[in-house]
Amino acid sequence: MTKAVWAALAATVILAGCATPQQGAIPVVDSSTPVSNQELTRNGGRMPTNAPPPMAAQAPQPQDGGVTVMVPGDNPAPIQTFAAAPATAPISTGPITIGPSAGAPAAQGYDSYSAPQPVPSAPTGIPSGRSNTLSADEQLDGPLLALLTTAQQQQGGGDLNGASSSLERAMRIAPREPQVLYRLAEVRLAQGDAAQAEQLARRGLTYANGRPALQASLWELIAQSRERQGDAAGAATARQRAKVGA
Amino acid sequence: MKRTRSSRSKKPSRQFFNWRSLSGWALKLGLVGLVVLAGFSIYLDAIVQEKFSGKRWMVPAKVYARPLELFTGLKLSKDDFLTELDALGYRREKAIQGPGDVSVAGSSVELDTRGFQFYEGEEPPRSIKVSFSGDFVSGLSSKDGSELAVARLEPLMIGGIYPAHNEDRILVKLDQVPPALINGLVSVEDREFWDHHGVSLKSIGRAAWINITTGQLRQGGSTLTQQLVKNFYLTSERSLTRKLTEALMAVLLELHYDKNEILQAYLNEVFLGQDGTRAIHGFGLASQYFFSQPLSELKLHQVALLVGMVKGPSYYNPRRYPERALARRNLVIDLMAEQGAVTKEDAEAAKQRPLGISKAGSLTNSSYPAFIDLVKRQLQQDYREEDLTGEGLRIFTSFDPILQLKAETAMTEALKRLDGRKGVENIEAAMVVTNPETGEVQALLGGRDPRFAGYNRALDAVRQVGSIIKPAVYLTALERPSQYTLTTFIKDEPFSVKTGDGQIWRPQNYERNAHGTVFLYQGLAHSYNLSTARLGLDLGVPEVLKTVERLGVSRSLPPYPSTLLGAGALTPIEVATMYQTLANGGFNTPLRSIRSVLASDGEPLKRYPFQIQQRFDPGAIYLTQYAMQRVMREGTARSVYNQLPSSLNLAGKTGTTNDSRDSWFSGFSQDLLAVVWLGRDDNGKTPLTGATGALQVWTGFMKRAKPTSLDLPLPDNIVQAWVNPATGQGTDPNCPGAVQMPYIQGSEPPPGLACGGQNPSDSVMDWVRGWLN
Repeated sequence: MTKAVWAALAATVILAGCATPQQGAIPVVDSSTPVSNQELTRNGGRMPTNAPPPMAAQAPQPQDGGVTVMVPGDNPAPIQTFAAAPATAPISTGPITIGPSAGAPAAQGYDSYSAPQPVPSAPTGIPSGRSNTLSADEQLDGPLLALLTTAQQQQGGGDLNGASSSLERAMRIAPREPQVLYRLAEVRLAQGDAAQAEQLARRGLTYANGRPALQASLWELIAQSRERQGDAAGAATARQRAKVGA
Repeated sequence: MKRTRSSRSKKPSRQFFNWRSLSGWALKLGLVGLVVLAGFSIYLDAIVQEKFSGKRWMVPAKVYARPLELFTGLKLSKDDFLTELDALGYRREKAIQGPGDVSVAGSSVELDTRGFQFYEGEEPPRSIKVSFSGDFVSGLSSKDGSELAVARLEPLMIGGIYPAHNEDRILVKLDQVPPALINGLVSVEDREFWDHHGVSLKSIGRAAWINITTGQLRQGGSTLTQQLVKNFYLTSERSLTRKLTEALMAVLLELHYDKNEILQAYLNEVFLGQDGTRAIHGFGLASQYFFSQPLSELKLHQVALLVGMVKGPSYYNPRRYPERALARRNLVIDLMAEQGAVTKEDAEAAKQRPLGISKAGSLTNSSYPAFIDLVKRQLQQDYREEDLTGEGLRIFTSFDPILQLKAETAMTEALKRLDGRKGVENIEAAMVVTNPETGEVQALLGGRDPRFAGYNRALDAVRQVGSIIKPAVYLTALERPSQYTLTTFIKDEPFSVKTGDGQIWRPQNYERNAHGTVFLYQGLAHSYNLSTARLGLDLGVPEVLKTVERLGVSRSLPPYPSTLLGAGALTPIEVATMYQTLANGGFNTPLRSIRSVLASDGEPLKRYPFQIQQRFDPGAIYLTQYAMQRVMREGTARSVYNQLPSSLNLAGKTGTTNDSRDSWFSGFSQDLLAVVWLGRDDNGKTPLTGATGALQVWTGFMKRAKPTSLDLPLPDNIVQAWVNPATGQGTDPNCPGAVQMPYIQGSEPPPGLACGGQNPSDSVMDWVRGWLN
């Protein structure tokens, strides 16, 4: 009996051995990898503190029809900031906050709700004017500069989806910053979505009051988008606006 | 054999024959047995290898909230930040020692983040310090003190897309497992693990011995390999055949795969608990489920608890039987100390610790059923069911757990306050919260009980919208500046009109009165039905319906006059879509809940990009928003300013349907849009109007969420003009009572002369007073 058992075991082992696909290689395909927080980090233990490097003064510009307005120093002419006006000028035909807050003259007595209380350093809007003499581009917040730089690197490396994703990240931080929308429109155009590029540029225009250089660039981008869409007349109109703005 | 031989010597001849026949029998039988056994082994071996070398588990897709994005200037209070960290399982410590530790000192918070793989790249783990000032982040720096531009926390896991059989797990690799876990497991379950070949006679013997001598069932004789085989390949049937099959397969498994491979599979396979209909498998998920922390961060006392639970996940469930679980945990720690896996001191210290279990339900599927439902519906358009339930996809969404919490609290508290009114107990609810500038859904309530996973009213309740529709009427008018401005006089007087089917339609105001001649914007602000219906009929019902469609509503509404006053029905999320376009300067954005999808290995699969389309002239939207701000300042929703600061600009509209069957409010600030619906599932009457019901929830939410004041940039074609508040005529700014109104360029009244010193009439004062309220 023992012999039989041993024989059987031996046979099993041999047969099983024969069935082993490759010697020494474990035929395991771990096709489902972990999901928890930690393990997604590819360089687990490393503790770098690297935010994306602060944007170099001469960050490379994407080659796109020579549109260059974004980089501090590139555009030294002081551009009037949009947000500076409303709170201080009650009687004005300039930019005025919608609603009663800015519209009602303080002297009229019913200004109980008219004093605008801008939320301190609200990051969601156009950078509130620290100084009127700074160019709008110089006022870009730290996170925006960092994310725009990251996006530029991704775009430079051909990762348009990544660039788009980074720019949308920036847009969530500052949805009303036209430079972010401008960049996003650029990436969309590079991705071949001319229609969205035009729409994003148009959205950017609605936030670009008082920034003629940026307006001109946005119009130029609209012109290119329209050309791509086969709208030559529309492109010409937009290009005209680009010239007027600049 | 021995016996046979000895008997042969006794009676040679006869026994010889017998022996011969017996041995022949045995030989034949043996051969047959051998063949059968060999065949069986080959068969088993194929099973063992096939399942082990392929994809071993179906892993449900995991759904993540938005990652919290930190930067200086972010609107975020310290309390909300700590709430998020708690949900992420961060431990409050005095000194930070590693990822998942947080320390709070005054108005600043230091922490070590865990790092995460996102669509556009990896967020490394970092040591950061976040400073707060009021409701804002006033500083963000890394440990060495250098300023940090931006940092992301890892996103909260908010649920999964589960298949029918409902097995869930988070796969871990061996090098992410704390050594104490492996030591503990080997100490308690299979001491010979590193030496045996699948089965261990020594273990069986010792287990029997220990169990007999201690009189307790302290140890089982199965090796870890056998347990894995049992769970992985076999049913839970208890029989000798199965036990033998198990042993044979264990030997085969050990033959093909090394110990680490087997151990890793065991760690991911083992069943550790039941969460409703969802089975918690593997230590990776168990760690999240019981401690809300990644496995790699667990300390000895936590590891010991999990190891102890292997023996009986239900019996030792720490949430249901904490004392039992504690005793078992300490036993595990003792066993580990006995075998030198931990020092006596560490063991004693660990035994003094509490269980440290996180609150139940913190990451269960049922936490945010309404939002997960929305995500699932969107995913089903792009993925097959089996991909969602089996491929371990990672779904990144826009869900904001902090806003969700605020929405839930606002809903619960408002309904509690309304309680006691007759008919409120049967009221159901829905709420949609979005970011108007990005079109992302941030919070969702499908009913008054936020945990109930059933009828998702936010997506499925098609209800009459009432006056919520009215901004579309006024927008249609304001798109024609040559005909209509905010100060155009319109008539608020009774009238009747023959509808297409020959019936007479006679609209009425809510208070059944008429207001004579009013400014156009007042019709919206006070939600007058007569003037709105008159205006809508003048514009043409199809024109208004076209506007509704351009605002983003795809459901078609009946082309009757009564639709102008909201007889048509929409779902709360459709209302949100419509208001999104109004809030976002006339740019339509399809509402999104998903940002991107990654494969299980972190490879980017799909993005859901931000898309917009300009549908309206920004000037016309500006004027409509102005009128909607009047709703809040002087109109039907003015009660918001009882609770919210008057410096906050908000725009919105109430909605009440006949007999108060539906109570709606939809409105927005610069950065938040919320739609609230209250009503009964059986469409019965309620005691609530839009203002007394839904608006109360909305106000409570906004009060908690602290929105940014509405501040639409002034479009190119808008001019401000000074007008006489009684006549709408242009006037000098210095005239008493003169007010500024926005107009589309060219439609403003000609500038008036300086005032001749006449006193403002009583009606003007009334008007101004109304403005102040």
